[in-house]
Amino acid sequence: MSDKKAYAVLGLFETPDALMHAIPKLRAAKLGTVEAYTPYPIHGIDDALGLRRSPLGGMVLVMGVLGALTAFGFQYWISAIDYPIITGGKSAASWEAFIPIMFEVTVLFATFTAGLGMLLLLNRLPFFGHPVLSAKAMKGITRDRYALALEAESEAFDSAAAAQALEAAGAVDIEVLPAPDRSPFLTSDYILRTLGGIFVACLVAGLGIYSLIKWFPLLAPMKYMQDQPRLNAQKASNFFKDGHGMQPPVPGTVARGYLPTATGTQDASATLVNPLPRTKEVFAQGRKVYTNRCEVCHGALANGAGSLTAAYGAKPANLQAQQFRDYPDGKIYWAIVNGKNAMPAHAAYLTEPQRWAVVHYVRALQRAQNATDEDLKVVAP
Amino acid sequence: MSQQKPTPPILLGAVALGAAGVLGTYFAAGPERFWANWVLWFVLMFTLGLGSLFIVALEHLVSARWSVPIRRIPERLATLLLPAIPVGLIALGAVPVLYPGARPEAAHHPILAGKAFWLSLPFFSIRTVAAFVLCVLALAVLVGGSLKQDVSRDPAFNFRARKFAPAFMAIFALVITMVAFDWISGLTPEWYSDIFGVYIFAGAFLSGLAATALALLYLQGEGRLEGVRQDHLYNLGAFLFAFTVFWSYIGFAQYMLMWYANMPDEVIYYKVRLTGAWRAITFALAALHFILPFFALVTRDAKRDPRRLRRVALLMLGAHVLDIYWLIFPALGGSPRFSWPELSFALFFLGGILLWVRGAMQKGEDMPVGDPFLREGLEFRL
Repeated sequence: MSDKKAYAVLGLFETPDALMHAIPKLRAAKLGTVEAYTPYPIHGIDDALGLRRSPLGGMVLVMGVLGALTAFGFQYWISAIDYPIITGGKSAASWEAFIPIMFEVTVLFATFTAGLGMLLLLNRLPFFGHPVLSAKAMKGITRDRYALALEAESEAFDSAAAAQALEAAGAVDIEVLPAPDRSPFLTSDYILRTLGGIFVACLVAGLGIYSLIKWFPLLAPMKYMQDQPRLNAQKASNFFKDGHGMQPPVPGTVARGYLPTATGTQDASATLVNPLPRTKEVFAQGRKVYTNRCEVCHGALANGAGSLTAAYGAKPANLQAQQFRDYPDGKIYWAIVNGKNAMPAHAAYLTEPQRWAVVHYVRALQRAQNATDEDLKVVAP
Repeated sequence: MSQQKPTPPILLGAVALGAAGVLGTYFAAGPERFWANWVLWFVLMFTLGLGSLFIVALEHLVSARWSVPIRRIPERLATLLLPAIPVGLIALGAVPVLYPGARPEAAHHPILAGKAFWLSLPFFSIRTVAAFVLCVLALAVLVGGSLKQDVSRDPAFNFRARKFAPAFMAIFALVITMVAFDWISGLTPEWYSDIFGVYIFAGAFLSGLAATALALLYLQGEGRLEGVRQDHLYNLGAFLFAFTVFWSYIGFAQYMLMWYANMPDEVIYYKVRLTGAWRAITFALAALHFILPFFALVTRDAKRDPRRLRRVALLMLGAHVLDIYWLIFPALGGSPRFSWPELSFALFFLGGILLWVRGAMQKGEDMPVGDPFLREGLEFRL
């Protein structure tokens, strides 16, 4: 025996039965950790060695559930919160559509946990040169011999006593394995070098591709989106019967985020409700639009006495007349959108909120000219 | 070894009480309800027998050794196909009542008129009888041969069974598809699903496995089946676990494609089952047929624990009944019906099935003692 520190003492057995019989004797001797090396799995050896249940199953279950939740959360956030798009009339948060990806991600997380958890966490790979691999008996162990090792647990490990115990238990060949010079297991130094290597490789590849594309712009990396068939604004297209690329919206449809607009008759529009609140900002907006677009004909007081009236040769409506004071909001709105008599349509240059703000402002003008005692009381601070 | 025990009178009483209820159903609750129940129990009996026979054939097909000691259990369960034949022949009376394709109005229906011949009662009966003939043939080769081997100890049976097993797989595919398309999907002949046969197969195999596990644990409780170990239980548990997942995979795949496409003729099937009280049953089915057994069986210990396996096997059988009920009963229209007629049918048929299986379990050997691989099967370790 050398006086060098031993990693373990290895004893060879001829048959698996001899090995199984030796295990309880060696465990009872309490000289060191008993470890078995066999060419194939032997039934019942886990129990004989007193190996605790592998935690891998629990890890896989937890990570699998986490994978399902991750996939659900991702898809829910994308499809229902961040960028909801209605597809095929389904609600944005349709869990049915999430299931296949939840299934895939569950399997992905679970298999990666099983594989990497076993190799990296439980088997503590990578390690370099396990002492048993350099044993003389290794050739036999990978073929038709069965080995038991008594591994050193502390400084007090007595390799001579271990060898005796193995011999007493029936080992035919005994070998002392010297401890390795340095830890064969993963060190922080190794991890840092690996991560550094990956970082440098990414940096070089990224910079290389960036400069290649910059210097040789003809090599477009991905041009499928440029080449896709699409409709161009103001261009002809064979796709539609009338040959136009641009198409009016389908009758009766409402764009998402917008309200139904006044497309029918004026009477049909009477039911439309002004969606804007009566706030200072809305009245200010209505006043601005009224001044720019309406005042020139209808007059600053909405009494039909605008500055353009005589030159224009038409008689603009006096909005203070009882007829117009009885109008519902929707009919005023309809007139702004479609125009009436000599009045042109204003839909092209007034947005929806602007139109409704004008409706509010016209109402304010009407009320101002027909104020009651009640109104005056409210205004007084 | 077999031992003769008297039939418990409670079982006979249950069957008699059930029979009275079954007759009462026809006159008091109307023929539609009677036939729906009858078809339900015919399908359950038939799929249980077919699923068990599939387990037997699977062993021969892949030359499995671990299942040799427990093979006699699915073999005995497979004999349920024999009493299922008269039940099925009587069930043909349901065809003109429940199946729209076999009614005279079908001739004027724009879709059904084209397949009136296929769905008509004569051809329906021919297909059913042909399926019975094929089943009896398979039963004679696989189960009859195995029983004869107990005496003859002739290993030639193993070669014959292995050669026959691939042919049985084709027969099985045909017969289970017939059950699925004719007897279940035929209730809503305007609805199509290519995968429906596979869905019924998953349920049939599961019910066969669950019944095998239950019978195995029962026999072990009586001190029979000496030599069958936890390792065999584990394999049965693993099969149960795998096929609950398979069942839900197929069930959900069918649902998701129809839900996505949203074609009126397809989606109506689920619309009916997702409104009113049926909605609760649909979710209960998902919970009882997948979520509960999945988590009950997921650990290694659970698959070897006899008490847990017994509970899960009972749950799976119950879930299979619920599954077939969920497939057949919406055809009656309206909300789910469950009252004394359903209970009487359950008493009558469950009692009958138990009587038959009890009788089968008391005849002959508990293990295929003539099989040369029995020893190897008994030595099976995980």
